[in-house]
Amino acid sequence: MTNSNASSSVTKNAIEVHNVSKKFNRASDRRTSLKERLVRGKAKNTNEFWAVKDVSFKVPKGSVYGLVGHNGSGKSTMLKLISGIYRPTEGTITARGRLAALIELGAGFHPEMTGRENIALNGSILGLTRKEIDAATDEIIEFSGIRDFINDPVKHYSSGMYVRLGFSVAVHMNPEILLVDEVLAVGDEEFQRKCFDHLSKLRKAGKTIVVVSHGLGSLEGLCDEITWLDHGCVEQTGPTTEVIAAYLKKVNTEESARSRQITATRSPEEVVEGELRIKSASIIDPVTKQPLSHAETGTTMAIQIGLTTTAPILGPNVRVAFQHESGPLVAMISNHKKGIDFGTIDGDHEVIATLENTPLLPGRYRIHIDVFDHTGTQTLDNWNEVLEFPVRSVRGEIGQGFVDLPTTFTIT
Amino acid sequence: MLRTLYQQRALIRAFAVREIATRYRQSALGWGWSLVQPLANLLVYTAVFTLVFRIVPPPLGSNPDKSSFAAFLFTGMVTFNVFSGLVVGSMAQLRSNGELLRKVHFPAWAPVIGASLVQFIQVILELVVLIALFLVLLNVSWTWILAIPILIAMALFAQGVGLILSILNARFGDVQYMVTVALGALYFLTPILYPISVIEGSASWLKSIVMANPLSWFVLPMHDVMYSLKAPEWWVIPALLVFGAAVFAIGFKVFERTSEDIGELL
Repeated sequence: MTNSNASSSVTKNAIEVHNVSKKFNRASDRRTSLKERLVRGKAKNTNEFWAVKDVSFKVPKGSVYGLVGHNGSGKSTMLKLISGIYRPTEGTITARGRLAALIELGAGFHPEMTGRENIALNGSILGLTRKEIDAATDEIIEFSGIRDFINDPVKHYSSGMYVRLGFSVAVHMNPEILLVDEVLAVGDEEFQRKCFDHLSKLRKAGKTIVVVSHGLGSLEGLCDEITWLDHGCVEQTGPTTEVIAAYLKKVNTEESARSRQITATRSPEEVVEGELRIKSASIIDPVTKQPLSHAETGTTMAIQIGLTTTAPILGPNVRVAFQHESGPLVAMISNHKKGIDFGTIDGDHEVIATLENTPLLPGRYRIHIDVFDHTGTQTLDNWNEVLEFPVRSVRGEIGQGFVDLPTTFTIT
Repeated sequence: MLRTLYQQRALIRAFAVREIATRYRQSALGWGWSLVQPLANLLVYTAVFTLVFRIVPPPLGSNPDKSSFAAFLFTGMVTFNVFSGLVVGSMAQLRSNGELLRKVHFPAWAPVIGASLVQFIQVILELVVLIALFLVLLNVSWTWILAIPILIAMALFAQGVGLILSILNARFGDVQYMVTVALGALYFLTPILYPISVIEGSASWLKSIVMANPLSWFVLPMHDVMYSLKAPEWWVIPALLVFGAAVFAIGFKVFERTSEDIGELL
């Protein structure tokens, strides 16, 4: 249930969803022709499934509310239920104020009609009077940025133009509640920014916005509260950062349960001529010393390297190279560079290289290891492509490139 | 119901405008096409039924010595086309708006009624041709005015039936084919190609079937007011209007009640 305090009065919520469930019958079960219906009788609803099961939440007026979940979690069904396209099988939904849904942009456009004609049609479908449409038309054309083509049939539009016009119409319908379904991932950067700016403007004007997405990066900056749906049920409801952290934790846990831990052992057959041999390597948690399935940006990780010698070795230099999956060498670390002398080693040893607050950005990285003698001129052993490991982020998108440079900004 | 319709007039109008804008946009003849089919039918049927079957139409109202099979036939066709055009159009509209109805919530009857209005305008266009034909035949009278309430009553009746059938067709895709077959049969069970007098003596059982066909109730008075130039009995047109309005009201209610889940059906 929501964590909104009990004292908040009913009127403060723009949308209230009470124990809503939605049942669907699989298509294979339906009688799609009258003949079939008459010959085979009424369909037995054996193949039904619940897309949404006993979901409750409240969207406070003037807030931006997010619905997250993996594919098939029921989040889009929930949005259609709120918009009225579907009726709940059980439970009630109350929405206060005019509602506009951006389920799919430009859904009502007719290809043979011009952009201007489509604005009028779409406006009517969304419930505007002619006067309101006439008043908004200019602003819509301006916002969409396709004034030059507005009198052409939309079938000649590019998909980008189509979407821009669709978004412009929907947001200019002056809705009190706006439902958005993963549509912000469209258009070029500039238009996306425009969309976000406009949503912020609507939010400041006290409008309520419900966003459905699995792109957490876009939700984080936008939403006040989030409901996380899983297989049609509410997994968690609460402030954005809390829910997103929990959601990502679960996603990552499931991932590690599925993927193998990242550790590599060299087969004994790979005989090495020299007196030192790299036996094994793992990505581990520096605290628990347990192998990991992935590393996380900003979280400390360690590389554990097993060495064995047949004779005493004086001050070896262990080097680890990080290569991004796309090819470039991202970094090379070594104990000599950090001014660490291991002294003389003999027998079995474990080298642990700890990366504080892993600065690598999400992606896949390969590790190569080699060991040089103390002079740095002779290779004692090398092992290419020891392992490959994924780096993930719990904070959504952080930036572009390979590394998160430790940076501070000032302005004077 | 009337209030709902009035409140949504902008939406109905928008769909009607869309229908007008898109119907014949890509053709050079444009709206002319809407007349080609009835005129071609008229030509063929007139040839076949006057030359081959030698059906004698009743005398013209203005001159009992003259008759015109083409004018007689076209009067019935125009009336029948109101029905068939609206019923077929309604079924097609609901299906073709499936994409939209799955994504936006709005009254599903709006595109149906909007398109029907346009269909009705097209029939009025046919009526203009019919009037031109009667002007040439010098068959003119005040009774023509009575054609307007008859056609309106027919349109209401057709829309009521069309709304119910369009919902059925959304659920069961084969309904439209059955309707096409049924319309073909109805065409011959309505006194369009023959005057009712032809079957009066020879097959009285057939006459009872034809008279039980509601479409005949509209076509016969249309023959009266347009062709024979006589007014039907005073109660006929009010009765047709009440009947048409009742069927429309029933169709609308049924549609409203069953179309709530339309987004899932289409």
